[in-house]
Amino acid sequence: MAEMKVETIRKDRLRFTKNKLFANLIILSIVMNALYFVNIYRTDVGNYYYSLMIGASVVYNLVFMLVAFLASEGVKNYKIGYGYAAIVLGLLQAGRIFYLPMNALNTPNPKVGAENTTVMTGGQFSFVAICLGISAVLLIVAGVTGIMKTMTLNSYRAELEKNSKRD
Amino acid sequence: MSDLKLKHLEKVYDNKVKAVHDFNLDVKDGELIVLVGPSGCGKSTTLRMVAGLEDISSGSLIIDGKDVTKMPPKDRDIAMVFQNYALYGHMTIYENMAFSMMLRKEDKNVIHQKVLAAAEILDLTSQLNKKPSQLSGGQRQRVAMGRAIVRTPKVFLFDEPLSNLDAKLRSATRREILLLHKRLNATMLYVTHDQTEALTLADRIVCMSMGHVQQIGTPLELYDNPANLFVASFIGLPPMNLFDVEIRNGKAVCADFEVDLSEEDKEILLPYEGKTVTMGVRPENVTEGGHIGVDVFSNENLGYNTLVNGTAGKHKITCKFRDWCTYKAGDKVMVSFTKKHFFDKDTTKAIR
Repeated sequence: MAEMKVETIRKDRLRFTKNKLFANLIILSIVMNALYFVNIYRTDVGNYYYSLMIGASVVYNLVFMLVAFLASEGVKNYKIGYGYAAIVLGLLQAGRIFYLPMNALNTPNPKVGAENTTVMTGGQFSFVAICLGISAVLLIVAGVTGIMKTMTLNSYRAELEKNSKRD
Repeated sequence: MSDLKLKHLEKVYDNKVKAVHDFNLDVKDGELIVLVGPSGCGKSTTLRMVAGLEDISSGSLIIDGKDVTKMPPKDRDIAMVFQNYALYGHMTIYENMAFSMMLRKEDKNVIHQKVLAAAEILDLTSQLNKKPSQLSGGQRQRVAMGRAIVRTPKVFLFDEPLSNLDAKLRSATRREILLLHKRLNATMLYVTHDQTEALTLADRIVCMSMGHVQQIGTPLELYDNPANLFVASFIGLPPMNLFDVEIRNGKAVCADFEVDLSEEDKEILLPYEGKTVTMGVRPENVTEGGHIGVDVFSNENLGYNTLVNGTAGKHKITCKFRDWCTYKAGDKVMVSFTKKHFFDKDTTKAIR
């Protein structure tokens, strides 16, 4: 076998190895999302805020987990579309911080005897915001890296094909 | 690659069964040794002792001058190829071949180069992204060999690697192992019960029976000069014809026929004058034309050869003629013996 340069070996390895690390990051982002919604649903915040939207929230979380899992498999197998899907999911996760947690943090508690407090305490806000933030970062990093690796692999494959035709 | 020394190796199981008796062998660097024998003769046990998968009851094992008798398998720098391939079904071929090096935390780029080099040797490059279930038996066995090659071990061990393959594939894979050995110039220990594999692959053969080494030698030595009756009857296909004959006045005499002895045979059989010995004649040393009448009961055409089975009186004889023969059951064919082997009836050792 001809001696290969380190950079070429790195590219060539992509042909035979899966993008497991970044696929696992997406799985981790699903775990972070689970921590988020478990924390919300088990407290009064859910009861208060989701009186009308709780069904939609459950459906969103289910859809999120499904799409994120598919994105994980896609990123693992160097499918560029799933890389973009991961980035979109990441942006949505980041956006969610400004929806429920932020509003609940700023809304006065309507319960009798709980005047001068907000629906969500500062501690809980920090926890769920961090969960969503980490989930978003993981998805975006996995998506961007997945796209970059897929593009590298595709161009390397094209190069190999061109060389084989020339030979 | 390295040399391998097995000194007085013995294996006694907890139930006091002795599987291997006083096994001694010096394997030179780059040599391919085949351990051959019937099932239960201790050949696989010996191999597993070398691999470290069985404890050595007594004796010592030396690899490259270093005593590894008590060393755990992972530290012996040995790679083993199993009969059932032992591939990980959920991993791709690439991952299967790279797995052991990944566990050793070797550099990924180095692993990649080694896997590609091994795949190229074994013609597996186009299969690297497939799973083992997508490959044929022969290809799977090549993957198992590739997994051994990438580690560049001191010694390769093969435990009946071709037994799961059909006849055609077995023959092709056998050639590949031979080429691989020539290419890698690796020290290999190969276990089989198939004497064709032993004869075609080995630099030297170790023939075993009941845990004892019967003979160590080149394939030609074992074929031409078997040390005892066991080796004579085990090596060679179809097996050697055996007759109890009395040595009388320069002739080997039995109830149904007598054959003249050569001057050389007369000399070595001098102490056996008037005694009964076992005479062995390989089927390929039986030729048409002579004074021994054989009543044919079957004629098997093998293409280039014909196996003719018959009886000379009460003695069964298998003849291998180098022609396309068309004998029918009931025909009588006259034969003679071109080369004869003689064995002591009591000790079963060859008379030389």
